[in-house]
Amino acid sequence: MPATPTLDTTPVAARRQLRLEPLLGLLTGVLGGALQSRLLLTPITRCILLGAVFGLVFGLCFAKRASTPGAGLIWGLGSGLLLWFLLPDGMHLWLSRSIGSVDMLSHAEDQFPQLVAYIVCLGMPVGLVLGTLGGLRPNPGQPRFRWARAIMAGGLAGTISGLAFSGWEYAGGFLPLLEGLPAFPSQAKAVIVHFLIALLIGAVFGILFQRDVRSYGSSMGWGVGFGMFWWFLGPLTIFPLLGRMPIDWSADQGAALFGSLIGHIIYGFILGTIYAFLDRTWVRLFIQSDPLNREPEGLGLHFLRSIEWGALAGLVGGVVSSPVMFATGILPKIAGVDTSFGGLRGLSLHLIISVLIGMTYGLLFRNEAPSFGLGVPWGFLFGMIWWYIGPLTLLPLMLTGVFDWSASAASALLPSLIGHLIYGGATAVTFLALEHRYKRWLLLDPRIAARELRRVRPVGTPAPALWFFALGLGVLLPILLG
Amino acid sequence: MRRTPHAYVDNLMTGGALGVPLWGLISVITLPLMSGQRPEWSAEQMRAHFPALLGWVLFGALLGVVTPGLSDLAEKIFGPRSQALPPASGEKKRIVILGGGFAGMKTAECLEQQLRTNRSAEITLISETNALLFTPMLAEVAGSTLEPSHISTPLRSSLHRTEFIRGRVTAVDLENRKVFLAEAASQSSTGRLEVPYDHLVFALGSVSNFLGMSSVEKLAFNFKSLLDAIRIRNHVIEMFERADREQDPLLRAPLLTFVIAGGGFAGVELAGALNDFARGILADYPNLNASEPNIVLVHARDRILPELSESLARYAQEKMEERGVKFCLNARLSNAQPGLVILSDQEIRAQTLVWTAGTAPNPLLKTLPFEKDKRGAVKVDSPLAVPGYTGVWALGDCAAITDANTGKACPPTAQFAIREAQIVAKNIAAQLRGRPPTSFHFDSLGALCVVGHQTACAELSLPFLRTRAVRFSGLLAWLMWRGIYLAKLPGLERKIRVLMDWTIELFFPRDIVQTIDLQ
Repeated sequence: MPATPTLDTTPVAARRQLRLEPLLGLLTGVLGGALQSRLLLTPITRCILLGAVFGLVFGLCFAKRASTPGAGLIWGLGSGLLLWFLLPDGMHLWLSRSIGSVDMLSHAEDQFPQLVAYIVCLGMPVGLVLGTLGGLRPNPGQPRFRWARAIMAGGLAGTISGLAFSGWEYAGGFLPLLEGLPAFPSQAKAVIVHFLIALLIGAVFGILFQRDVRSYGSSMGWGVGFGMFWWFLGPLTIFPLLGRMPIDWSADQGAALFGSLIGHIIYGFILGTIYAFLDRTWVRLFIQSDPLNREPEGLGLHFLRSIEWGALAGLVGGVVSSPVMFATGILPKIAGVDTSFGGLRGLSLHLIISVLIGMTYGLLFRNEAPSFGLGVPWGFLFGMIWWYIGPLTLLPLMLTGVFDWSASAASALLPSLIGHLIYGGATAVTFLALEHRYKRWLLLDPRIAARELRRVRPVGTPAPALWFFALGLGVLLPILLG
Repeated sequence: MRRTPHAYVDNLMTGGALGVPLWGLISVITLPLMSGQRPEWSAEQMRAHFPALLGWVLFGALLGVVTPGLSDLAEKIFGPRSQALPPASGEKKRIVILGGGFAGMKTAECLEQQLRTNRSAEITLISETNALLFTPMLAEVAGSTLEPSHISTPLRSSLHRTEFIRGRVTAVDLENRKVFLAEAASQSSTGRLEVPYDHLVFALGSVSNFLGMSSVEKLAFNFKSLLDAIRIRNHVIEMFERADREQDPLLRAPLLTFVIAGGGFAGVELAGALNDFARGILADYPNLNASEPNIVLVHARDRILPELSESLARYAQEKMEERGVKFCLNARLSNAQPGLVILSDQEIRAQTLVWTAGTAPNPLLKTLPFEKDKRGAVKVDSPLAVPGYTGVWALGDCAAITDANTGKACPPTAQFAIREAQIVAKNIAAQLRGRPPTSFHFDSLGALCVVGHQTACAELSLPFLRTRAVRFSGLLAWLMWRGIYLAKLPGLERKIRVLMDWTIELFFPRDIVQTIDLQ
């Protein structure tokens, strides 16, 4: 497949067109600010001004990156979150030495509606509008967008994910994708709506992110980010409107829907992985099978090496993170007993699991990072995703048969999140070191160097915004809502 | 992080994202530890660090913008950073490998691994063919079990930093350190005709040695290359086609008689494969009887497979005889005429003669003043260097090698060639780095030989039983043969293709399509 264009290759005509984007960003920001003011009942002038500044800055700084609606959305979401970190109230609170950390946290909880507003009213519309405009720009270097592939692969992935998801939840009568909607008269209707929403999310995912998703790992990351965004958009915003209920963006409502957030994150994880499988299969069968597009090297040693390096990296990650895991009490839980031997048994199990998860890292994230700096965030994101999947879901499920996705349960497990982040980071660093060590001499061959350049994610994709959005919210929300 | 110009927004977001784990690592773990406290592991205590989380995110984001900004500014003021210059071409050591067989290919591969990113050396491999032929499976190509290209691996795609030249070496100037190549077929060619070297590796392999019998050389099929195997297969089919329309049984007999001279591994495996092939395709030739195909193996000694123990050789002979192969032991091939193979004690009327009875090192070596053994192979010292010629190495079938530990002569097999290549590559790299060389020593792992359908014999030296080889025969040995050689076949793609060929062969008859017109 042709490579995504590198930076600063914008043609002159497109540069001229870029002048339109700050203006469009400003207008969208003004409208978003007005909507925010209406929903939050805050002074309209201040909201419109904030929206205008956000849209203008986004149009000036991020427009070049918003080359598709999907890319625009992710950059918009990242910018919306950054705005919340930067917002004047927050800065004031942070700079003020007189306020204690507990007060500051409660003030931040009070600011939760603003966080939702910045994401839903500013980040999403501004990003989508400028991304759509960017998609209309002629960009000869970009791979061709295929509607059929996006809708079919996305829709199928969404439905399968919904199926896997409902399999877990149907028995308990809890369908996280429907949280926030009024109760259905029958369970059959609820299931139908659940699948329709799953299909919709999947198809939209395919349409938005076909060009950005490269490997299973990035697709997984995009799925998690999209799942978080959908939680803000669906259960917190659209579903109350559908049920003719007032929108409630308070931290209390967020905490009440925290289980649904975890559900969305895990749904996004499954969706991303299945989408990548279907999309890669499609690409392999219908695009790369063409001799003009075929990669000279198929499956083979590279695949096996990724597993080998992943296993080694996972072991290093497991060893590095084990003190934190032990201190936070996760190791005895892994062992399933709370005896004095639990630690040792837990450590062994932890290392075995680390190796297995490291293998999946090797398979999922190869070719995603051209450098350490751009590879380590994927590792942190991977670690964070496993915190949601492991201690929050699978571990209690295996030990007790039930799991608790409440905000309080997530809050209790918060310390182990640090351990998971360390695991992900250490795994990524080790894997990248092994990969670089091997590739260093292979890249002397210009054919291999060109092939690697085609394979590896270039700078300029929305990956940094995704890292910031998913990693930032993945850590912030359990703290804020717990 | 490697800096990418004008990627400010990317760095802003990446920095912000990295601020989150930095908060956990520094504020939650490191700072409490440094101040002599235990890290705070409860959720409530972690929440107390919330302000630091905001700080780290904003700090990361700011750092992401400021660092590249200052770097760009410094570049504007002081100019771009100087790039490291590659070493001048004159300083490079040129390593030239002659031959693309197991020995040559493995030497190039090992040199690539030894030298890795070392740009002070260049590797060139010169070969008459552009692919490595996996000779253990050659008999299966002749027997129509495997597709010819499935057992050959392209040299160009297997090597990474090695320059590949397809060509025939005509001469070597040891004084001026140059290799001369034959002119290309096209007169207008402006291709390279000479290649200079600092290190020269002879891995030229061997050619058939017809022991001076020119008539045999003229009439017999060789069995060394892929083309030889393709020719034999097509010739067998041609003979069956002719025999099918021949009415006279006396004229039909020589058409269906196939003589293989030589009872070593190559001859025995080919006889077994041709026997299976010839008897397998009879169903397509209704005018021929099952008793008519006649595969005869001629061997000068009293038993076949001298590389294996006597009991296994007897087993192989018995099994092959059960399947219809005839043996002429203690018989020497003395001459050949069209339609007639003349042995020391009898004559066989046959239109097909395949020669596997002897090999000799590549004839190019005759032109060089090296010390050689009676076969004509170059004598080398224990690090596999040619004595008296600095930077000249020899290995594989064209070298006379003595094991440094045992003092025994090493056989000219692929198993030894691969280990010799590892030592040559290691010693060249050591010489480039000014380190002492390593002597060659290798204990054979054993030998395997297929004698017919799902029947083989194997003699393996197991690591814990070094003094005594373990023998296997029958289906188990055949499965071992297939498993071991499939694992050794280079490239996953080739492995899959061969595996598919083998699977297809289980369910469908062998292909009798002629791909070469031999009329």
